[in-house]
Amino acid sequence: MNRPPQSPLVTPAGPSACHWSRFKFPDSLIRYASWISVLVFLTYTVEYLDIPLDRLLGMFGRMGTTLSTRYYPPDIGYTLDVGYLSYVVDTIHMAFLGAIFGLIASIPLAWFGSFNMSPSRRWLYPIARLITMSCRAVHEMIWAILFVAILGFGMLPGVLALTFFCTGFAGKLFAEEIEAIDVGPVEAMRASGANQLQVMAFGVFPQVRVAFTGIAIYTWDVAFRAATVVGFFGAGGMGWYLKRNILQVETERVAAILLSIIILVLISEIASAWARAKVMKMN
Amino acid sequence: MSSETTAQKRAPRLTVDDVLNHRRRAGWSRRVLYVFLLAAMAWSLNVTVIQDTDWARMGSLGNVLGAAGRFAGIDFALFPTLIAPMLETFMIACLGTLVGVIICIPAAWFGAQNVTPFKPITYPLARLAMTLSRSIHEIVWALFFVSAVGLGALAGVLALAVRSVGFIAKMSAEAIEDIDPGPVEAIRATGGNAFQVMLYGVLPQVLPQILSVIVFEWEINIRRSAVLGLVGAGGLGLVFFRQMNTFNYHGVTSVIIAILLLISAGELVSYYARKAVI
Amino acid sequence: MAMPLLPDRPGGGNVLPRLAGTSRSDIVAWKDAGMAILEVRNLRARYTVSGPEILKGISFNVEADDFFAIIGPSGAGKSTLIRCINRLVEPTAGEILFFDREITKLPRRELRLLRRDIGMIFQEFNLIDRMSVMDNVLSGRLGYTGTLRSLFRLFPREDIQRALELLDRVGLIDHVDKRADALSGGQRQRVGIARALMQDPKLLLVDEPTSALDPKISREVMALIKQMANEFKVPCLCNIHDVQLAMEFCNKTIGLQDGIKMFDGPTETMNKGNLEKIYAMEVL
Ligand SMILES: Nc1ncnc2c1ncn2[C@@H]1O[C@H](COP(=O)(O)OP(=O)(O)OP(=O)(O)O)[C@@H](O)[C@H]1O
Ligand SMILES: [Mg+2]
Repeated sequence: MNRPPQSPLVTPAGPSACHWSRFKFPDSLIRYASWISVLVFLTYTVEYLDIPLDRLLGMFGRMGTTLSTRYYPPDIGYTLDVGYLSYVVDTIHMAFLGAIFGLIASIPLAWFGSFNMSPSRRWLYPIARLITMSCRAVHEMIWAILFVAILGFGMLPGVLALTFFCTGFAGKLFAEEIEAIDVGPVEAMRASGANQLQVMAFGVFPQVRVAFTGIAIYTWDVAFRAATVVGFFGAGGMGWYLKRNILQVETERVAAILLSIIILVLISEIASAWARAKVMKMN
Repeated sequence: MSSETTAQKRAPRLTVDDVLNHRRRAGWSRRVLYVFLLAAMAWSLNVTVIQDTDWARMGSLGNVLGAAGRFAGIDFALFPTLIAPMLETFMIACLGTLVGVIICIPAAWFGAQNVTPFKPITYPLARLAMTLSRSIHEIVWALFFVSAVGLGALAGVLALAVRSVGFIAKMSAEAIEDIDPGPVEAIRATGGNAFQVMLYGVLPQVLPQILSVIVFEWEINIRRSAVLGLVGAGGLGLVFFRQMNTFNYHGVTSVIIAILLLISAGELVSYYARKAVI
Repeated sequence: MAMPLLPDRPGGGNVLPRLAGTSRSDIVAWKDAGMAILEVRNLRARYTVSGPEILKGISFNVEADDFFAIIGPSGAGKSTLIRCINRLVEPTAGEILFFDREITKLPRRELRLLRRDIGMIFQEFNLIDRMSVMDNVLSGRLGYTGTLRSLFRLFPREDIQRALELLDRVGLIDHVDKRADALSGGQRQRVGIARALMQDPKLLLVDEPTSALDPKISREVMALIKQMANEFKVPCLCNIHDVQLAMEFCNKTIGLQDGIKMFDGPTETMNKGNLEKIYAMEVL
């Protein structure tokens, strides 16, 4: 590279200035050690999981041809069938109920499970946290399978699975929101002699109302996405259709169903973005 | 004009009724919303729970409780065999997140309005990719990749990667859109090229936020990777499925406990990691 | 004592063939020939096609040992003018000659080479907050550094040497490894100055360097810029809000008002009448 000459500086720097290195002894050692251990771990992971790195590129080529020959063109007519559409409506019902019930359950859980506002830090707080965390940690598919095993096939286990899922999802976000509030109004309420519930209603709720509404709308979004697949193991909705067609290798129908899911999710996302923007403006 | 009349003009007298009426009017639209939500709920309840459920087959409350009670118990003998799948699940989550992050780099770059290289094409393209990634559930992605690359962990890794791209890229793009343009301009003014502007002007500003999003997504990916086995992509999900199919309900509980343990560990790590980044 | 910095190239740089960019010896050659380093002719600029014209035909010359002040009321177009010169804002008409080279139509790559010859100091410092002071100063060298090297922040030894010396000169040698956001305003501007000088600039653009600082620090920072400009023999173009500072530090002044040049000449010749004309809008 051509580096033009630089202008000389007038005063030469002292000897202290001549020794600078980006790498200071303990810090850089720790940094390098951690980078190397991460790399070693990742290499070992690839090894352990038996991932065929050499065949990887070829796989992507094959994936492209599979997509273009077998999944295209999507069988749109199939998704316009009344039977399928009624399943779509069912899915929406399930997602709606799951989200509503989950939100209702998560509000008290968030209250009890927020460190600053919990009525009892010793008992209610850990219990509420535990419930929220378990609801969140267990995947919605596992909830669905469990409820199907208990209640049999149908939409009821799907709704319950989504309810648990949404409880965990919204509960955590709500609690975080409550923990981030300004304590000033809360103290003002306490000072005026309000009881716990009144403090929540007048000191806390006005502060988190907008955020809660946003989270609620977001929860609906997430619930809908989950609702499209809980049917896989018999918990109602369009997941069942998807699974059946995948098992029967009806790839063009699968493509059409996926397309319909994408479109529905897009619509719900646009609607919820609009609703959230509106809520923000109302604030 | 006398001072008395101005004072009157400035402060019209409010009565208690005015206040109450105002409140009533303000609450009106909200009440419509509530009624609408309640009606929708009733409709949904009717469709899903009342009409669809085969109450007779489900049996009495006692039957249901009995069915639930089958899960009460832990198959301790299963735990030693769970260690390998747990490790596998954890590794799938790590690799999946890593691959996702790599795919995210171009996605976030193209998807941020202020740095996207060619706005009319690259911006909508990136946004479309993000929506695609997020709108399809990980189970569906896993099924797709299982059919494309065969059963095994690779399908799980790819499914998680593709599924995480949407969220990480969306959050990163938003972070990039929020940056202070000053440093970017400064780097541009020193004669840095487009890549250097990204590296020195943009990246240092957004790195902590992006790292925290990545850690967050990694934690979620552990949870996701625990079920990918249900469709043949390896890990704990496979064991879960097997226990369920052999009606070993106590074993199912054991698997769930293993999942909870793994996720708690992930949550702990993620908590401290995010604290360290910010 | 290590002094690896290269001495000036003998002879007029203008006679040597060059790809792009300017060498330090050019300044000397231009000065000896009594030519202006920067010539701005009839410069016009607007931000949007239908929007108002911000610069309405500005012309002036900057010579080798000039320390130029641009004064004028807020919104007069001072920042716009300065940004046109390194084309952070694209002028719509007119010419800018930098060492006799027309630069308003330079293609992208050439533009980068031009920019690395023009240092810029910003009002809001525009440091990269989460990087260390050292990395901030080194980032002034990006125009000279390859992409791959900059990816791993592998700057050559002489750049690091230069950065250390500059940091010593601006009085920040004890803060080399601090993060930039841990410094005070005055210190941050000193980092900005070091970064601009890191480029080995042939022209220094300074956009209100002191309006985020308190009066005492302002004076110190202006004095530092002036001193550095003298020592490095860099002509300087400086936006100043404060007429007092302009009178104190700058040998020439341009007065702008509403995109029109109202005054151009040695600072000593500027009188109350001139100032009233420049700031007419504010008096009214
Ligand atoms: N990015 C931009 N887009 C559109 N108009 C702009 C932009 N930047 C500045 N302007 C307009 O150009 C005019 C001149 O702005 P400029 O920043 O050059 O003024 P200035 O003399 O530097 O003022 P100040 O002393 O406040 O910094 C102003 O009317 C401003 O509104
Ligand atoms: Mg300005």
